[in-house]
Amino acid sequence: MRNSEKITPGTDMGTVVVACLFIIMAIVSLWDTTTMMDSDSYVFPRAIAIVMILLCLTLIISNLIRSTGEKLEKAKGVSTIRRISLVTVMLLSCVLMPWLGFLISGFATFLLLMLVSMYDEWSPAKKIIYPLVAVTIVAAFYTLFSKLLMVPLPVGLFFE
Amino acid sequence: MPGIEYLIAALTFVNILLALGGVIAGTVIGSLPGLTATMAVAVLVPITFSMEPSSALILMGAIYTGAIYGGAYSAILLNTPGTPSAIATTFDGFPMAKKGHGDLAITLACLASVTGGLVGATFLLFLSPPLADVALAFGPVEYFWLAIFGLTLISALSEGNLLKGLIGACFGLLLACVGIAEISADVRFTFGNQVLLGGIETVSALIGLYCVPVLIDLVATPDRHLKVTHEPRGFRFLEALAIAWRSKLSLLRSSVIGTLVGILPGAGGSIAGLVAYSEARRTSSRSEHFGQGEPEGVMATESANNATVGGGFIPTLVLGIPGTPPDAVILGALLIQGIRTGPSLFTEGGSIVYTFIYGLFLATFLMLPVGLIIGRYAYKTIITVPKAMLVPTVAFMTMIGTYAIRNSVSDIIIMILLGVVGWILNRYGFSPSPIVLGLILGRIAEQGFVQAWTIGGATDELWKMFFGRPISLAIIAFILLSLFYPFIRTRLSKIFGGGSDAE
Repeated sequence: MRNSEKITPGTDMGTVVVACLFIIMAIVSLWDTTTMMDSDSYVFPRAIAIVMILLCLTLIISNLIRSTGEKLEKAKGVSTIRRISLVTVMLLSCVLMPWLGFLISGFATFLLLMLVSMYDEWSPAKKIIYPLVAVTIVAAFYTLFSKLLMVPLPVGLFFE
Repeated sequence: MPGIEYLIAALTFVNILLALGGVIAGTVIGSLPGLTATMAVAVLVPITFSMEPSSALILMGAIYTGAIYGGAYSAILLNTPGTPSAIATTFDGFPMAKKGHGDLAITLACLASVTGGLVGATFLLFLSPPLADVALAFGPVEYFWLAIFGLTLISALSEGNLLKGLIGACFGLLLACVGIAEISADVRFTFGNQVLLGGIETVSALIGLYCVPVLIDLVATPDRHLKVTHEPRGFRFLEALAIAWRSKLSLLRSSVIGTLVGILPGAGGSIAGLVAYSEARRTSSRSEHFGQGEPEGVMATESANNATVGGGFIPTLVLGIPGTPPDAVILGALLIQGIRTGPSLFTEGGSIVYTFIYGLFLATFLMLPVGLIIGRYAYKTIITVPKAMLVPTVAFMTMIGTYAIRNSVSDIIIMILLGVVGWILNRYGFSPSPIVLGLILGRIAEQGFVQAWTIGGATDELWKMFFGRPISLAIIAFILLSLFYPFIRTRLSKIFGGGSDAE
């Protein structure tokens, strides 16, 4: 989604960097295929990696020669902190899930993400209603998955 | 010729209730990202063990058809396919929702799903035995070319930058190679990490690539998720009906494509949707609007994926070979019921089969009111719920849904990381759709390619194997047409002066 940033014409160094990273990835993949014994295993990924390198080189050259790529212009009023917080909270939840269990980590994640995405004033009513809704949603999903769909969600050390 | 007595048998109060309940349950489960139609059927199958075989089949068929349609909700409203069948629904469904036409997109999806479901069921009713032969005519090389045909969609999805689209597809194809190779069982690209042995789970990858970027952008600004219009517009049913009527040929073609792809074992709704979308875009007079919120794109996908329900039952019932993954679960349930599938089922077990087929028609008809009502509720919820509720709810759904696929926390981490990678790539013009296409079609393409290569090598007819079979040649012709048609059309319109596309 690029709804908050503007794209303007210019030298697209970002694309060049991404293409270089893809080339490194393809080279690592090619190196890994040398450890495979069966030709059935390496024919396909090797072909893809080579094609990927060629495509990336073409992209880099066309960007550097013609300089007609797109340049990313950062929009105002976009919160990078909130973006990073969202991903961090989700990842942290996964790391702690085996210890805290799905229910507790899920509830904590829900509350933290609520804080991360809250732009309005925290009125007294919201302070009561929002956490209650959070508990209800987490509990409902937990019941649906663990009791009805029989998914073995992590219980955590507290409930073992 | 199936008789009226089977229709009457299908229309008992119990069967109507089962069909209604099945469609509701399937639609709700299918709308949750991570819960696929296969899972919906598998979870609810034990309920059917004590039922009459035809009633059990009606319930399973209703759940299946509802789940396939339900996947459209999150595809349209959240840019996250609820089921893999709805991948191509995101291409135009979400842009429609962003423009404030999410309600219309949902109604269109419902109409298209009903049409596709009815076409699939009609083929199942009248043409099952001859069409089952099609399934047997498809060998590994045809599957390979079919996957390549799906990949040609990249030219449509790369938003004007084919090179970036192709690189994205290569990335997806390499991701599909991670884990244990399906044919040789070699361990690939795991770099000693045991978590990667099972490969990158397709559904969790597509949840990450489509949904996490939406969440990342959603928290960044106080703007609303979707454009909200305050005037009451109802279901916009007549408007949707007019659009559907205008695109009736495309709708029928997509439904037939869906049925035929559904007949092929293992192909499933995602490929049906992609192929139908590709064909609709190629033949439409509004092809340049595809990917920007074109109603015909939504209808093509949704009619095709629901047509796979009827299509998939054809080899399942006639040959005992499941056409789609949910059919495999249903086949297992039938075996438990003591029903032997095969050509004789249509003569010896005619009462069961034909009652079920009429039940499938019933479930598909019921999908119209059920789908419209649930869709309306889903749309109103998504546009009115505050951002501080929407973000954690969607994030929580993606996490629990991803976990449920393989009961793995590692899958959630992979899903989030892929989402971050997808978001970064998207900022530099690498759209997520080619990556997802590569990931989904990579396994089918590789398996077909290696098997065909091996057979061709063993029989000393490698060239003939790939380019000498009539079905392969037909698919290759479609591939070439799909790739070069926009170019040919532009050239032709230049030569003949004008002929610019309407609207």
